[in-house]
Amino acid sequence: MSDIGVPTEEYQPPPEEEPPVRAVSPGEWVRQNLFNTWYNSVITIVLAPAIGYLIFRVLRFVFVTARWEIVEVNLTNFMVGTFPRDELWRPWTAMAVLGLVVGLGLGVTARANTEVARIRGVRIGASWHENVRRAAPALLLLVALVVFVRTATPLVLLAGVVLLAVLGYYAGRRIPPGRRRWMHLAVLLGLAVSYVVMTQFDGVSLARWGGLMLTMFLAVGGIALAFPLGVLLALGRRSSFPAVRLVSVVYIELIRGVPLIALLFMGWLILPFLLPADFPTPGRTWRALIILIAFTAAYVAEIVRGGLQSISTGQYEAAQALGLPAWKTMRLIILPQALRNVIPAMVGQFISLFKDTSLVLIIGLLDLLAVARRVTQQPDFLGQGLHAETLIFVSFIYWVGSYWMSRESQRMEKRLGLGER
Amino acid sequence: MRHRKFLTSLLVVPALVLAACNGDDGNGGDEPALPEDDGGEEVDAAEGEEDEAPPAEGTLAEVQSRGVLNCGVNDAVPGFGFLTAEGEYEGFDVEFCRAVAAAVLGDADAVEYTALTAEARFTALQAREIDVLIRNTTWTASRDGGESGSFTTTTFYDGQGMMVRSDDDYGSLDDMQDTVVCTLSGTTTELNLESVFVARGLDYEPLTFEDNDTLREAFLAERCDGWTSDKSQLAAFRAEWPEDEGGPDALTILDETMSKEPLGPVTLDGDVEWFDAVRWAVIVTIQAWEFEIDSSNVEEFLDVDPEEDPEVARFLGVDEFDAGLGLDPDFAVNVIQQVGNYQEIYERTVGPETALGLDPGFNTLWTEGGLLYAPPYR
Repeated sequence: MSDIGVPTEEYQPPPEEEPPVRAVSPGEWVRQNLFNTWYNSVITIVLAPAIGYLIFRVLRFVFVTARWEIVEVNLTNFMVGTFPRDELWRPWTAMAVLGLVVGLGLGVTARANTEVARIRGVRIGASWHENVRRAAPALLLLVALVVFVRTATPLVLLAGVVLLAVLGYYAGRRIPPGRRRWMHLAVLLGLAVSYVVMTQFDGVSLARWGGLMLTMFLAVGGIALAFPLGVLLALGRRSSFPAVRLVSVVYIELIRGVPLIALLFMGWLILPFLLPADFPTPGRTWRALIILIAFTAAYVAEIVRGGLQSISTGQYEAAQALGLPAWKTMRLIILPQALRNVIPAMVGQFISLFKDTSLVLIIGLLDLLAVARRVTQQPDFLGQGLHAETLIFVSFIYWVGSYWMSRESQRMEKRLGLGER
Repeated sequence: MRHRKFLTSLLVVPALVLAACNGDDGNGGDEPALPEDDGGEEVDAAEGEEDEAPPAEGTLAEVQSRGVLNCGVNDAVPGFGFLTAEGEYEGFDVEFCRAVAAAVLGDADAVEYTALTAEARFTALQAREIDVLIRNTTWTASRDGGESGSFTTTTFYDGQGMMVRSDDDYGSLDDMQDTVVCTLSGTTTELNLESVFVARGLDYEPLTFEDNDTLREAFLAERCDGWTSDKSQLAAFRAEWPEDEGGPDALTILDETMSKEPLGPVTLDGDVEWFDAVRWAVIVTIQAWEFEIDSSNVEEFLDVDPEEDPEVARFLGVDEFDAGLGLDPDFAVNVIQQVGNYQEIYERTVGPETALGLDPGFNTLWTEGGLLYAPPYR
């Protein structure tokens, strides 16, 4: 029975004292921040009406003058493009499966984090308004979509998917630590099942995917596969084996030296020229995904290399002194620190990939942005200058995705103690 | 040690490259060499494609075994090709994709559409990404030759026009000295604009755009004095001109026709069988109009007595007449039943009753003063 040392289950960290809140009246705040010097006063007086007017115009457009009918009518186009409408049960089923496994994964991670936090003696559990802020972008998107939905069926199905995700989350929180490794399997299985549902059993070929679905497929697939490939390339570039090093360097420098558009065009049009006529080339969508992965991996490799270089040789030497073999040194000591150090740059690259998926419209794929440009050509909306509405709508979706990634990365940085240790 | 590793790598890399090359040769062993074709972008590309086309399996057989037609379309030209709210492509050009699919596969819905930009369309055709290009493409000699496309026949006779604001008082092209003219890049319109204005000794400044949307915005913002494009497209945009900008009357399309713009389906050079199949899929829609057969009455015509009306019987394959096009004897019936005759297609997509409200102009039967003239089906 010792009162110091390993914290027990009952251990509760002492309540932290809140920093004193300095009460500042709004008038005081304005004086301190906007009118504290004569030139700040001038800038405030000049800019405030201009910014106010701009905000007024934007809000008036979004809530009053904009004719959102074009988005309402084409909502399915924005979501799935030319996906056959009598096969829509496939994406819904896939979404339900994915919602379940993602919820499950989040639940398991949340419990793991709670336990780690408890062992470390850190204050656990986010306050409710932190959680709301975390979910705010997704909720905003959900609200925007719900506003534009015109029939009841999608609402019911959407509610079902959200419910499944929530159920998955609470189920995940109840999984005992010993069973957790099955989680990865469950997520992979979920991905496989949703892919099979989408494409097999008289399913729909990838060429007909479109809209947000295609954008998400390219972005998520691209991020998930470019990351490991980029790490491998970064390790390859620092390898002591010259052949591996040469291949990595040539690959990275070649890919980084060519614009993404040129690569997309090459994958689309030059590849068939280079391959024999009867050689089975993968479909357009796969080619676009492969190009996006190849492109992003080269950049990720350089980011990771920067992270590897930030690790002092002392870390290697300490690992060697402990008798760790090279690959274990890399996996357990170097990479965790290196990757943690480059989270901001890495997430920046992923956000950039997410937005770059819109370039696939030049190779004839109907992604989210392409839909926005196409629907204005429908006879009902032709020549009425409705680009503002469609572009604002898709920009909002891109913004939600990018902002969410950015916020989550900041949370992760905080959790991993980046910039503190 | 380091040196030896480096030497090893020097050996390994070329070996890998060689292995990769051999692998390619192994796969393409029965194919004629490709590299010669790659360089020949110009006129000899046509001959190259001819050599390359596998004699055993042409595009026709390939499409039939695939069961789907890959059709290159435009999805941003009102009336000719656009995306509907139901996620389907519709329009005048799209109807002819469906007609080809109905003729070749017996199913007008068996089409996979690829939306193409003006710049990418011929490259996509050459790369065999698409079987046929039906994307309001003007038939010109260099496209027939250098771009290694083969124009099957004309589906739409258009002409380039000039649209100006009515209150600018341009009576004809000759009044347009020192003006800014907006047009789409990579199109024949851009080239015609130059030749017409240079021939008339007019100074002008061209402003080119990637698509009609941005061009329209520029014209609305009065960044250009004239808007030149095919008259059909100008009419479409004029008809939808916003009321608060003065409506259609605020714009005038000048009477002059600056060029001939015959639009039609394009196939890749060197596959005559496929070329013929596409061409006749179009022709039967015109011939059906001439016979006054349409999608609603084609059933009645199937009872025709070959003795009484041998031409119609032959046309509909009632007497099992096979023209040797590699298509079913009754392919015309499939086309008419599933898509319709030319008149139906026209009126459904761009005719006076539609949002475009295009006057048929030359796009009517030769018997009524138009240019639609189907060669005899016998």
